[in-house]
Amino acid sequence: MKLTTRNRFAVTVASAAAAGLVLAGCSSDVNDTAATTEAATTEATTEESVAPAEVAMADCGDWTIAMHGWVGYTASAQVLAEVAKSDLGCNITQTKLDEAAVTYDAMEAGSADVIVEDWGGGRWQDWIDRGAIVDVGSNGNVGLIGMYVPAWMVDEYPDIIDGTKLNDYVDLFKTPESGNKGAWYEGPPGYTTVGQKIIDSYGLDYKAINVGSEQALLDLFEKGQADKKPVLGYFWEPNYFLAKIDMVRVNFPANDWTDAAVASGKTDYPALDLEKLISSKLADSGSPFATLVTNFTWTNADQNSVALDIEDGMTPEEAAQKWIAANPDVVAGWMS
Amino acid sequence: MEWWIKLKSSKLFWVGVILLAWIAATNVFYGKSSTELSTLTNTPMSDWFSLGMEYIRNNRYTNPVFVYVINPIRSFVEIFVDVIRFVISSPSGSNVIPLVGWLGTLSVVGYLVYATSRLRFAILAMALLLGCGVLGMWMFTMDTLAMTLGAVLLSLAIGLPIGIWAGLSDRVMNAIRPILDLAQILPTLVYLAPLALVFLIGVAAATVATMIYSIPIAVRITAHAIRSLRTGPLEAAESMGSTRIQTLKKVQLPMAKRTIILGVNQTTLAALSFVVIAALIGAPGLGLPVIDSLMIRDVGGGFLAGGAVVLLAIMLDRSTSAAVEFSDSSDFLDEKAKSRRRMGLIIGGVSTIAAIFVSRNMLWAAVFPNQLDVSEPVSEWISSAALWVTDTFSFFTVGFNEAFTVSVLNPLESGLTGAPWFVTVIAVTIFAVLVGGFRVSIVALIMMLLIFSTGLWFDTMVTLSQVLVAGVVVLVIGVVLGVFTGRSERFAQFIRPFLDAGQTLPAFVYLIPVLALFGPTRFAAIVCGIFYASPIVIRIVADGVRGVSTNMMEAATSMGSSRFQSIYKVQLPASKRSVLLGANQGLIFILAVIVIGAYVGAGGLGYLVIAGLSKPEIQGKGIAAGVAIVALGVVLDRIAHAAAHREPKRLSVSKS
Repeated sequence: MKLTTRNRFAVTVASAAAAGLVLAGCSSDVNDTAATTEAATTEATTEESVAPAEVAMADCGDWTIAMHGWVGYTASAQVLAEVAKSDLGCNITQTKLDEAAVTYDAMEAGSADVIVEDWGGGRWQDWIDRGAIVDVGSNGNVGLIGMYVPAWMVDEYPDIIDGTKLNDYVDLFKTPESGNKGAWYEGPPGYTTVGQKIIDSYGLDYKAINVGSEQALLDLFEKGQADKKPVLGYFWEPNYFLAKIDMVRVNFPANDWTDAAVASGKTDYPALDLEKLISSKLADSGSPFATLVTNFTWTNADQNSVALDIEDGMTPEEAAQKWIAANPDVVAGWMS
Repeated sequence: MEWWIKLKSSKLFWVGVILLAWIAATNVFYGKSSTELSTLTNTPMSDWFSLGMEYIRNNRYTNPVFVYVINPIRSFVEIFVDVIRFVISSPSGSNVIPLVGWLGTLSVVGYLVYATSRLRFAILAMALLLGCGVLGMWMFTMDTLAMTLGAVLLSLAIGLPIGIWAGLSDRVMNAIRPILDLAQILPTLVYLAPLALVFLIGVAAATVATMIYSIPIAVRITAHAIRSLRTGPLEAAESMGSTRIQTLKKVQLPMAKRTIILGVNQTTLAALSFVVIAALIGAPGLGLPVIDSLMIRDVGGGFLAGGAVVLLAIMLDRSTSAAVEFSDSSDFLDEKAKSRRRMGLIIGGVSTIAAIFVSRNMLWAAVFPNQLDVSEPVSEWISSAALWVTDTFSFFTVGFNEAFTVSVLNPLESGLTGAPWFVTVIAVTIFAVLVGGFRVSIVALIMMLLIFSTGLWFDTMVTLSQVLVAGVVVLVIGVVLGVFTGRSERFAQFIRPFLDAGQTLPAFVYLIPVLALFGPTRFAAIVCGIFYASPIVIRIVADGVRGVSTNMMEAATSMGSSRFQSIYKVQLPASKRSVLLGANQGLIFILAVIVIGAYVGAGGLGYLVIAGLSKPEIQGKGIAAGVAIVALGVVLDRIAHAAAHREPKRLSVSKS
């Protein structure tokens, strides 16, 4: 027999068919055994999913938590995920997504179900009106964004915390990137930022520079403190980092907005209750996970402690489990 | 006044005159009618886009186009890709592993490669895939593989028939050529927002975006394959009374097979590189840890993810190109080799089935074993190495970076952004007339006006300044290394793996090491663009230099030219066309990377596209920025293209 292309194809198809039979035919595969084996469960844990510890609780369902970029968010989301997995037997996937529209659209499309900490103050209203997502209240954290300088700068230039006087200090903040203006390090594109509006409305001689990530901001402030280098940058609390590096918020006159889209600019960032949002799919499912998310609430101090552990080298899972073990009463309160 | 007449007829002279006139006009009118806009301020066009997007969001489930066309496509694509993911990458329900565990998948890949080429390529493919697991990226790699596979299958299902049709019919080819040309210019980043809007964030949008990116490549190469066949066999077939379908099936397709498989290769690599960046709109896979590492500036983690992308890219590249070679040689195997191969296929098939079976029943074969995972030490080592490099070479990473920014980049940027828009438009239009002629200048003018009407002139000039700087550097690197490569076989051998790797790497992967070294600066984005675009320019220039006829070289040497003279006087002028062609390709590549560079601080149009993805208040502005990027790409491409193709051939260039 000559082995032509067609024969080769036939061999391939035949083996594929045989493989199919194997798949269909085998009765006791790893998925059945793993669920009951303790060791298997821990070893089989992957980035994406986890086997439920007990098969009986499988009615929670498959849900996706949107993961935003900052460590504090990771802390909240991971605690929520760990409780859902171990106490409710949910199958939780965690997906990296940018803030706001990206995630809202993903929730509308059914590829994400939970935002555990949204800073938007109402920018989700269109999606709520359409019935795509549901606001299930504050997560207990109060968020405050602002422009910060290292503490040593306030000692040297007491005026600097008055945002309207920033033009007196432009020379301090000049860098090659900002040219002949002061460098105003703005939050990453996926974060809530109105820096450019503030600059415009107060006629500040600063250039907003996008640094791309939270880590870049941390680096800047760390260097700013260690080398006494002037830095003016976007930052926020709750944030574990404020306990490590002494930073002071630059204040602008009162604020008049909660939604960045309609902020006038003659304003500062307001203190915000950080909201939890869920997909209407999850809200309507009757899953115990929906109840858990709705009841989930903790303090800024709680979040900072978990975030600090993550930052000091624990994996998010370990840090979350440590906090859960230390706070059984709080967790029990979320359950019903 | 002979020198004046000579000067007058030199294009270079007039280009210089335009440049000087532009600089003079810019200085006179500096900052007048400057168009700088605050990031959060919308323009009429972006408001208009916002309204359109709002309409789509609100009518997604009522508008007939969505209900009967787009939503069904979305569901179909999603199910198609999810089925593949279900088999190899994503466990469903309460399962801990997908349908087939790692050992099974590894064996299937090995077997498929063996069945289409040779054993050693199968072993190479399996080793590379294993490497992804060793880097701790098995699950992400499988997701990327599944996404790539799904997108490639769908792309080929659409692209091959269109390509064959366009290969057979001039009318079809002419109809789709503008689309194919435009597709070559479009940077990956601009596909994301519109696709995410129409198909919603998730697997479907990511897959469709990938398909839109890779289908034109499949079409182009398939059509080329059919077209470039020699006419002899076709006429013979026709004279023997074959019908058109018969000719296609029995003569054209078999003869074009090699090139068509090459098209599969190119389509696959394009799809892979797109799948990585499509993580921004919900594609699962290796793009996620890449973005993650960018966000927390984790060089080690980024190296693992980027490394897995590279291994997967090499695996797909080698496997498909091995299939090309094998399709050429398989018919010449002798009987003995054939029967040996038959045995091999049977044994391989049986062991693959066994491996699948084991991977479903044994945990060690189902979930990639931790013992093989070296991700932690590797990532730590890389992170500390990166730290050492940045600290040790800070005179370069910080010092040179800042000096370059202050002395070159800032003046150029402030010149381009400060010049009144109409002065620049006029200068570019005249420039386009000079190098490309009237038609090119009309295209350039229209595109420049389009950019102006997006209201994003300022941001466009920021992006352009970075593209130009990177372009000059790439051209210098390309010409120097290209000449070396073209002249010395030994150097060509040495540099080839680097060029191969450079051309298979998705642009996104370059961002991580560059960010680690240079911090979030425009300089970092420019370095990225240089790394990404240099290989293609080196390659094109080297081809051109190699194409210079040996007669000419011998004549030059016999006339006593030194080596430098023979390069400067003979090889470079003779391969001028290749150099310009390289510049054309290089600029397009650079633009694609500079806009992604917004992730490492490049600002400009790319930043608006990325910010528009997540900030509802400027989503329309993100789309407008996409339009401006495309228009800028067309201007750059048309002018460079015209320069490369209108250049009169003074010296004979042998066709290789």
